[in-house]
This record gives sequence, C-alpha cells and structure tokens, in this order.
Amino acid sequence: MTVTFSAPTLETERLILRAPELSDFDALAAFYASPRSSFVGGPQSRELSWRALALEAGHWVLRGFGRWTLIEKTTNTPVGIVGLWHPEGFPERELGWDLFDGATGKGYATEAAIAARDYAYDTLGWTTLTSLIAIDNEGSRRVAERMGATYDSDFTHERHGPMQLWRHPGLEGRA
Amino acid sequence: MITLTGTPVLTTERLTLRAPQPQDAETFIAFYKTDRAKYVGGPKDDRRGWDFFCTEIGHWVMNGFGMFVVTYHNDDTPLGIVGHWYPNTWPEKEVGWVLFDAKHEGKGIAFEAATACIDHAWNTLNWDTIVSYIAHGNDASVALAERLGAVRDDKAEEPGKEAYVYRHPRPAA
Repeated sequence: MTVTFSAPTLETERLILRAPELSDFDALAAFYASPRSSFVGGPQSRELSWRALALEAGHWVLRGFGRWTLIEKTTNTPVGIVGLWHPEGFPERELGWDLFDGATGKGYATEAAIAARDYAYDTLGWTTLTSLIAIDNEGSRRVAERMGATYDSDFTHERHGPMQLWRHPGLEGRA
Repeated sequence: MITLTGTPVLTTERLTLRAPQPQDAETFIAFYKTDRAKYVGGPKDDRRGWDFFCTEIGHWVMNGFGMFVVTYHNDDTPLGIVGHWYPNTWPEKEVGWVLFDAKHEGKGIAFEAATACIDHAWNTLNWDTIVSYIAHGNDASVALAERLGAVRDDKAEEPGKEAYVYRHPRPAA
C-alpha cells in the first residue's frame, strides 16, 4: 500500500512544483550541509535534514497547505523548496523559498514563488501573505522586492535569529 | 483538505492502531512538554513539539510506514504512539513506544501494541531486523523490551545518540 497525501502539483514555464518526497532527501541534505542554509536554521546533520523533509510533508497534512519541491524541467532534478508555510511560532502564514546550491541566479525562486502566491490567492482564497527574511539574506530580499513585497516589521525567530517580515501585495497589485 | 491515505489500521484485542491525524496534535504536543518525554527527545516546547508531530506524519509519507496512534476500540482518545520508526540515516529500523500519560501505564497497552507492530514488521513490512533504541535510564522501557523478548546488543551501532540497542529475535518460521 502506498502512503500518499493529495497535494496539488503546479507548473511554471521552467519548473514543476510537486509535493516533497523521499527522493528529494539527498538534495535537501546537501543544501542543509551547506553554508547557504544558515539563513534558515542550518547547517544541520543529515538526520535533522531527514526530519525537516518529513516535516515538510507533515505540514501539508496538518495545515492543508505547504511547500513544494521545485523540479527543474530540463534536468528533472530538485532545485529548491518553495511554498506556503505556517509552523507553530510563525507570526502569520508565509511564502518561503529555499534554492539549493547551483540553482540561484536563474530567477527560479521568483518564478516558483509567484505560482505559489497565485495558488494562495486564487485557489485558497487568501488575501494577504508575508515572507520572513533573515536580516542579512540579500538574495532573498531581492526576490521579495521583485514580487512587489515591502518591509512590514521586525521579527526574531527563536532558531533563525533576527528577521524581517515582508508583506506581499494583496489580490490587486501583485506582480 | 489534504489527507494522508493508504495507511493501515492494526487491531489487537483491546486496541486500535491508526496513523496520526491532525486531531492528535494537541495530545502529542502536550506530552512532549512534560518530563515524561525526557527519554524520547523531549521535553520540547510548543514549536518543536508541533514540528515533531509534522515529522511523525511525514514519516509515513517518506517511508510508507510510521508510528501509530494507539486508542481503545470505540474511543478515539490517543493513549500513546507505538510503531515503526526509521529516519533514513539510522543504522537499523526500530519499533518504538510511548504512552502519553502515566495513568495508561501498568495495563499492558504498550506491550499489546508493540507486539502487533513487531508482528507487522516481520510479516507485512518484511523487515530483516528489528531493534528498539532505548535511552539510558529508561528502566520501564527496558523492562518492556525484555518482556517482548528483545535482547540487549552492545555490539550494535547507536542511532547517532547514546542509547541501548535491544534486538528483537526473529520468530521461528
């Protein structure tokens, strides 16, 4: 018997957004072993990375939404995790993006995050959305700016440290 | 609504073992805030407890098996969580058990549920080995492992943390 959950799949020009699964583990563990994960609680061990991947799947079941693994169409490999995130301890539902090593500089985060935001507004009926960005994560801040989000307030995350809460435009005015 | 599908239900004389559902989160998180959780990775605050409950559910998605919530028949109150645990970085697959409240102890609940899970691991999941990793000092859990017929294996690899490894013998065919 195969255990599944019914997360939707989204598609953009260059990416497939599908539910996280075990085959993403090596890519996610490599990301969490790299210094780039320092903005999102890393670096961390392979075991904690496995728990983080399982958490991504469980989040869908508990909340009814979650984050997708981005599959690059040309290579059919996982290049990041993007989506809708609201774990205990977050101030609001947020739109988050993590790109794996080698996947930056191509506009993938923006492309996937726009699809995820459209899904939140058009399918889930949400009217606002935030993004939490570590204070010195300039790459992530640029993605927020490109999407038309603006600085809202400061937030200190227990594990990720000082962050900024950015707010996306609502239904009208989204990029 | 996003739901987990394809998870089995095991039934014993007194107990139903089913996959964790969102309505179990409150009991699970409350347990992890107590001192009772000290032998199983706790205590954890609300945030970590919530994360770990997501991991419990996601474990099913990752592996196709996982920990069951244990209830009495015809009463969905969660008594504990017993079942199959394998973060893919661990040396071996585990059968583990937790009772959420001391008032559930002494009734053979964990024994009855673990017996069903050991049987399920051999006969349905077709595992090659079964161990239980038990934190040093968790005497009640050691007693249960021994009552289940497991034998301490001091040569076995620990799961990335200090723990006794109790090995469950494969039943004669």
